[in-house]
Amino acid sequence: MNANHPDLKRMTPPKLSLGDRLYVPQVIAGLAVTARHMAGVVFGDSAITVQYPEDQHIPSPNYRGVHRLNKDESGRVKCVACMLCSTACPAHCIDIVGTTAPETELWGDREKYPASFVIDELRCIFCGMCEEACPVEAIELTGLYDLTGLSREQMIFDKTKLLSVFDLTKDAEPMRYGSPPSRPTSSTELVRDSI
Amino acid sequence: MATITINGDAYTLPEGEKLNAIQAAKLCGVEIPYYCWHPALSVVANCRMCEIEVGAKDPATGEIKMVPKLVPGCQTLAKDGVVIVTDSAKVQEHQRMIMEYLLLNHPLDCPVCDQAGECGLQDYSYHFGQATHRFVEERTVNPRKDVSDAIQLNQDRCIMCTRCVRFTREITHTGELHVMNRGNHAEIDVFPGVPVDNPLAGNVVDLCPVGALLDKDFLHTQRVWFLSKHESICTRCATGCNVSAEENRGSLWRFKPRHNPHVNDYWICDEGRASYKEANNPALLASMYVKKAGTPEPVAVDQAVAATERGLKDVVARGGAVAGVLSPFLTVEEAYLMARYLKSLSPQAVLALGPVPVSGGDQTFAPDKTTGRTGDTSFVVPRPFTIRGEKCPNRIGVSEVLAHFEGEVIGWESLLARVQKGEFAALYVASDALDPAFDEVAAGAIRPRVGFLVVQDTHATPLAQVADVVLAGATFAEKAGSYVNADRRLQYAEAALPPRDGSLPDLDLFAILLARGAGPVRSREVLAEVAEAIPAFGVARGGVVPPFGVVIATTPREGADAGGAAVGGPAVAESGSRFSDPWTTVWRDHGGRKRI
Ligand code: SF4
Ligand code: SF4
Ligand code: SF4
Ligand code: SF4
Ligand code: FES
Repeated sequence: MNANHPDLKRMTPPKLSLGDRLYVPQVIAGLAVTARHMAGVVFGDSAITVQYPEDQHIPSPNYRGVHRLNKDESGRVKCVACMLCSTACPAHCIDIVGTTAPETELWGDREKYPASFVIDELRCIFCGMCEEACPVEAIELTGLYDLTGLSREQMIFDKTKLLSVFDLTKDAEPMRYGSPPSRPTSSTELVRDSI
Repeated sequence: MATITINGDAYTLPEGEKLNAIQAAKLCGVEIPYYCWHPALSVVANCRMCEIEVGAKDPATGEIKMVPKLVPGCQTLAKDGVVIVTDSAKVQEHQRMIMEYLLLNHPLDCPVCDQAGECGLQDYSYHFGQATHRFVEERTVNPRKDVSDAIQLNQDRCIMCTRCVRFTREITHTGELHVMNRGNHAEIDVFPGVPVDNPLAGNVVDLCPVGALLDKDFLHTQRVWFLSKHESICTRCATGCNVSAEENRGSLWRFKPRHNPHVNDYWICDEGRASYKEANNPALLASMYVKKAGTPEPVAVDQAVAATERGLKDVVARGGAVAGVLSPFLTVEEAYLMARYLKSLSPQAVLALGPVPVSGGDQTFAPDKTTGRTGDTSFVVPRPFTIRGEKCPNRIGVSEVLAHFEGEVIGWESLLARVQKGEFAALYVASDALDPAFDEVAAGAIRPRVGFLVVQDTHATPLAQVADVVLAGATFAEKAGSYVNADRRLQYAEAALPPRDGSLPDLDLFAILLARGAGPVRSREVLAEVAEAIPAFGVARGGVVPPFGVVIATTPREGADAGGAAVGGPAVAESGSRFSDPWTTVWRDHGGRKRI
């Protein structure tokens, strides 16, 4: 593209007034904003920062934090191991091993479920593509932002851990679609009951 | 010469082939969607997906007369003067209607359905269907059932195309599958106690355009879009069926047949289909070994190769005789380099053919135009399919190489007799057999009689366990090269997997031993050399093997032989295109996503 290309649009910078060119009024206007915020924090309650960790920050509802694997009404993992999330994932951090669902009463109406479901939270870029790709709303990104661990291995979340994130967050953040489990059980029980 | 008009454009069709409108349109680059038609099966025209507008042009006046109703393209002969329209509003409306009708009771199973990604319903829904579903009644639910130990039927996904039924009636003549009940209640089923377990049964899974018939071996393990497909040759028997070896994350997951009218038509046998598993066998040799103080110790590749070279050179320097055993599992290129290496060490080296595994006799399925057929068979070219009793891929190819270097083909038995007489101070056995080829008896017979024993194999066979040097070679999936099948057809197989850790493809091992230098050896280059050196392989000049393979010369002679008819089958133009249903097309460019 050369300088005379017809698609190029020429912009003329706006003319500066005398006040603009002196700078001083602009500096004073900027300082006024700062002063207003300082006054708000000291005399009012308008601080944007929080006293973490004493105060917990509540992220916006569409914040993209740690993943969870949702459960259905019978406490089974909702995921059907279609691997669409791992197909969509740009960071290649989801690893799923699918298997045929057992022909038991609990699983009789299901065809396939994940024998193993692992997300490498360190590799994840929290883009939310997995959530968008999932046809059964099984994977969701929660508002948990304080993701910490003592080793790399701890940051590789397996199915049990991802299901326990669901138990941890289901009250604060109900599933966006479908209903949360009807059985109010302790998270450990739910984790043990599910596959 | 037939001239037909498709969507207003005139096209000239090739001579000699009887084509229906679907085939003719495909040749001209126009797609007519279809489900129930298959080139090897009779036409029953029951899915109605291929319906198009058909007319005829009066040769005298040039006037076009159209048939008032839509006509199935699979049943329309593409003869001179035929006019077809595939993109009119009438046809498109019909396709939309058929798609809606086929999906009336269809479950929304794609996330758990193994066919997703290569499904006729998905592809045609996208291209010819509509996004809305007007049916509000309860959908019929049909439980899944097994039609054999290896095949599952999810009846509610079936579109009643009857391809599977026609296959068991018309190709295998076993007739296990049939349509039970009628209309809305129609189901595919087997008779009680008669499962679909003929030797070609697995093909019904490939034939099924949707996810109704499923291979239980592959069931729920992979998604097809992860698989990268490699054009390979089945090494389970001497037929050399063309297969697509499908790989993801360093493992093979399945074999699917590739069309080759001279060899396997559209099919593969179940035994061959299952042979992909050998490539994933955890028992494959994972290291090279050199015997130190009586016990084999794992060593690096270069040390093992150096030990081989040192040992063989020592023997030759001391005036000992060297013998080489070339198994019928080696590719032509490998056999050639191995023979050249041993002959370069010592021109007196004796080269022999390894054991040729045989189990049972040949089993031929010979479909014809009438047996078991019910529909219109005028477009069908019946071709036989033979499962050979000779369970190796390249006896003829290796024999041709041996005949070139030795003047004769020394069989395994006669070499073994000479070994037992103590004729050889060194023996180099290259095997790579699919099933371990050497047992304790062979090891006991050979070891005490040979001073220096090199075994190149993929398994730790009893013979490898007593060898001085063990070279870990490549499985069929890890090597690229050509094989000559029982009909003397030379076919090229791509490698589907990288070499296992600790191993090296046989061709590279021989190339290093021969000190060819200059980077990794390429099988095509070696094949070009073979074509120059051995007259029988002259047809592969330049290392080029046509897509359907080429028949090698019987008597040593110069010049190219452009294929010709396969034994027992009518001639098909070598340039003929590979048939595959549009929804199972090999997407080479997408080629499965590589993951890190
Ligand atoms: S949020 Fe993005 S990067 Fe993380 S697992 Fe999901 S798709 Fe992958
Ligand atoms: S989480 Fe959703 S998208 Fe991922 S495999 Fe499970 S069902 Fe499929
Ligand atoms: S048969 Fe095709 S359309 Fe039906 S569930 Fe399977 S993939 Fe989906
Ligand atoms: S099972 Fe598959 S091949 Fe057989 S009739 Fe149904 S859709 Fe066709
Ligand atoms: S393909 Fe022609 S009617 Fe089915």
